[in-house]
Amino acid sequence: MKTLTRWFAVVSAWVLWGLTLAAQQPTQQDEFVPIDQLPPQEQLAAAPLLIGAYAFVMVVLFFYVHSLARRLTSVQRELDRLDTTMKQGGSA
Amino acid sequence: MPKWFSPAAILCGAMFALSPFVIASAAYESTMGLVQKIFYYHMPSAWVFLIGAVVCGIASVRYLATGDPRHDRTALAAGELVVVFGLLTLVTGPLWARKAWGTFWIWDARTTSSLVSWMIACAYLILRRYGGPGSEKLAAALALFGMANVPFIYISVNYWRTIHPATTVVPRLPFTMGFPLWFCVVTFVLLFIILLKLRVRVEEQRARLDALYLALDERS
Repeated sequence: MKTLTRWFAVVSAWVLWGLTLAAQQPTQQDEFVPIDQLPPQEQLAAAPLLIGAYAFVMVVLFFYVHSLARRLTSVQRELDRLDTTMKQGGSA
Repeated sequence: MPKWFSPAAILCGAMFALSPFVIASAAYESTMGLVQKIFYYHMPSAWVFLIGAVVCGIASVRYLATGDPRHDRTALAAGELVVVFGLLTLVTGPLWARKAWGTFWIWDARTTSSLVSWMIACAYLILRRYGGPGSEKLAAALALFGMANVPFIYISVNYWRTIHPATTVVPRLPFTMGFPLWFCVVTFVLLFIILLKLRVRVEEQRARLDALYLALDERS
């Protein structure tokens, strides 16, 4: 009788442990879930992508305009220097 | 610089400063939400990228036909802008796609042909920079391939299976989304014209400089 009670206790504990584990496991997903219904931790934030895109455009355009201005100033300075040299009748 | 340049530059700067507010006031797209607002800079960049390739190609044809260096200068300026605006298109697009499609890049007809066109523009500039004497004509021929790719890029979304939005999207936009888009398109086209003029000016001044050095050499 003692042995039977022990076995019953062990089996009951085993079943209880199994039931607890089963309750903890997430249910299997067998359907499509729209992206806006995903839990927040699984959603990809849009703001960093949006800010990144706009910042990239602004930075690239700023550097390009800066590079153009620098090249134009440099050529203009060289031209002015050469013009002055030619007016004075010297060589470059 | 021509008389229209300064007012156009001021107008373009003001429109650029205003564009984030105009975009912020645009309606949210129902499925993509916030990330769809990348579209207001992505699509105008892409259009200017294609316009630049056409300008570069036409100027190259005229240079090959007439030998006039003014057309060559325009082609070079447009080629550089194709690389700049192509870069903006190829970076903003994947940032949008990451959220909308779940991946940064797919090798479909639109994205692949755009990348090829951008690489042709890069090859054009590299050839101009390191090709040595006579590379202008070779580069002009390359620009023709860049221009020939433009209609292919534009219609690719209508003829091949792709998840990229088709060309029919823009005409069907409601006013709350269409107005910000066209505002940004005008801003980017104006910016392209201003930058093109500035870049051509740099080449004109360099040509003057070369002529002055030659004159000095002859004198001495």
